[in-house]
Amino acid sequence: MSRFGSRRNFDLEWVERWARTVNEDRILPVIGRFFTGRFMLGVDETEYLIEVRNGKIQRISEGITTNDMGYDFGLKASSSAWAKFAQPVPPPMFNDIWAMAHPLHKQLVIVGNTLPFWQNLRALTRMLSLMREV
Amino acid sequence: MNKHDPIVGRYVYVPCEGKTYRTYYEEAGEGIPLVCLHTAGTDGRQYRHQLCDPDITANFRVIAFDLPWHGKSLPPSDFYLMEDEYKLTTKFYCEFIVAFCRALELRKPVVMGQSMGGNVCLALALRYENEFSALIALEGCDYSPGWWIDPLHHPHIHGGEVVATSVFGLMSPESPDEYRWETWWYYAQGGPGVFKGDLYFYSVDSDFRDQVHKISGKLPIYFLTGEYDFACTPEMTERTAEKVKGSECIIFSGGHFPTSEDPVKFKTVISPVLKKIIQNDPERRGQDSAALRSNLVELRTTSRNERPTSRRVIEL
Repeated sequence: MSRFGSRRNFDLEWVERWARTVNEDRILPVIGRFFTGRFMLGVDETEYLIEVRNGKIQRISEGITTNDMGYDFGLKASSSAWAKFAQPVPPPMFNDIWAMAHPLHKQLVIVGNTLPFWQNLRALTRMLSLMREV
Repeated sequence: MNKHDPIVGRYVYVPCEGKTYRTYYEEAGEGIPLVCLHTAGTDGRQYRHQLCDPDITANFRVIAFDLPWHGKSLPPSDFYLMEDEYKLTTKFYCEFIVAFCRALELRKPVVMGQSMGGNVCLALALRYENEFSALIALEGCDYSPGWWIDPLHHPHIHGGEVVATSVFGLMSPESPDEYRWETWWYYAQGGPGVFKGDLYFYSVDSDFRDQVHKISGKLPIYFLTGEYDFACTPEMTERTAEKVKGSECIIFSGGHFPTSEDPVKFKTVISPVLKKIIQNDPERRGQDSAALRSNLVELRTTSRNERPTSRRVIEL
């Protein structure tokens, strides 16, 4: 079984390792300089709240509570879809969030207000691609 | 001695639908005219590697033009008075390609287009089959929905960055970084709303699903699609090719922008097609040239069962 072979690979500890990789990246502080917001990363039924400031992840939480007051947008996909996305060389149709979300494929759903999603697409794409280095 | 590319760029005046468009094009080589169509929102630079490849230009006069609104070709002078956003239509696109070829007095050219340039090959085969000697549809199919969307032209969203990033995933992760990011740059340089306006053609006005069976088959059509193309998937191209008489279909391990994202791989994929075009050219052009001694390598058609083995597949 591969390291992405079971659900627990996307637990909070995995998300933390990814977030630390994001925060060590030297390109994101440039291209994500104006990316400040809160988005939800959905893996199967689990929701992680990711709080971003100037391209760096400041806080991650498992589960969303009333006191979080919602989020800007969310990206929801199955753990098997995220597992394919996070492979070092991802397979066709799973190598990009817009590829996965495109109406032809529907492997990922963008929920909430999609305006900040599109506004920050470049930084977000880089941020998520760093899952391949976790 | 300074190093130069062999490419020469010029402007030609092309009449189309009552207006005249000062149109930029680049060319290199001699032989069969090979007119190259860029993808949505970009320009002829996507063909810079093919324009500089002596194995291609020994037999082909390679010509890449910028559609109006793209690259160095301007929009119509009264564009600021338009009462609708820019939208490329099938009618204008076809007529412009034919008018451009006539403006250059090309005789029975081959057309090679990618993405929307691939899709328009179907319309050219339906409407203008006598104008051309062969068509090469890169990343083409008879219907490619889902791209005529507002986020690609919105005042609250950086057009260049969102347009370029929206197409980045269409490329194979195994294509060289430097060429993938060059392709990204082309996209980031498009005028506001031009990519989206081209996608009106790509996703709305070019639904040929009920028409492609009418293509006569007299004009050879080659379909080539990369397996990472999520806008025009290999399956979409294969389904189209099955309906088009006289067509061949090649699926390869690349992406949506083969000429610019991985020109070395593209050469191995396109060379057998170009060789066939030389051998079958109705005008017998290029036969006595370097065709037989060129490096246009043979490559058999890849079937869907022969995907590259290098990709890691994880069983879940």
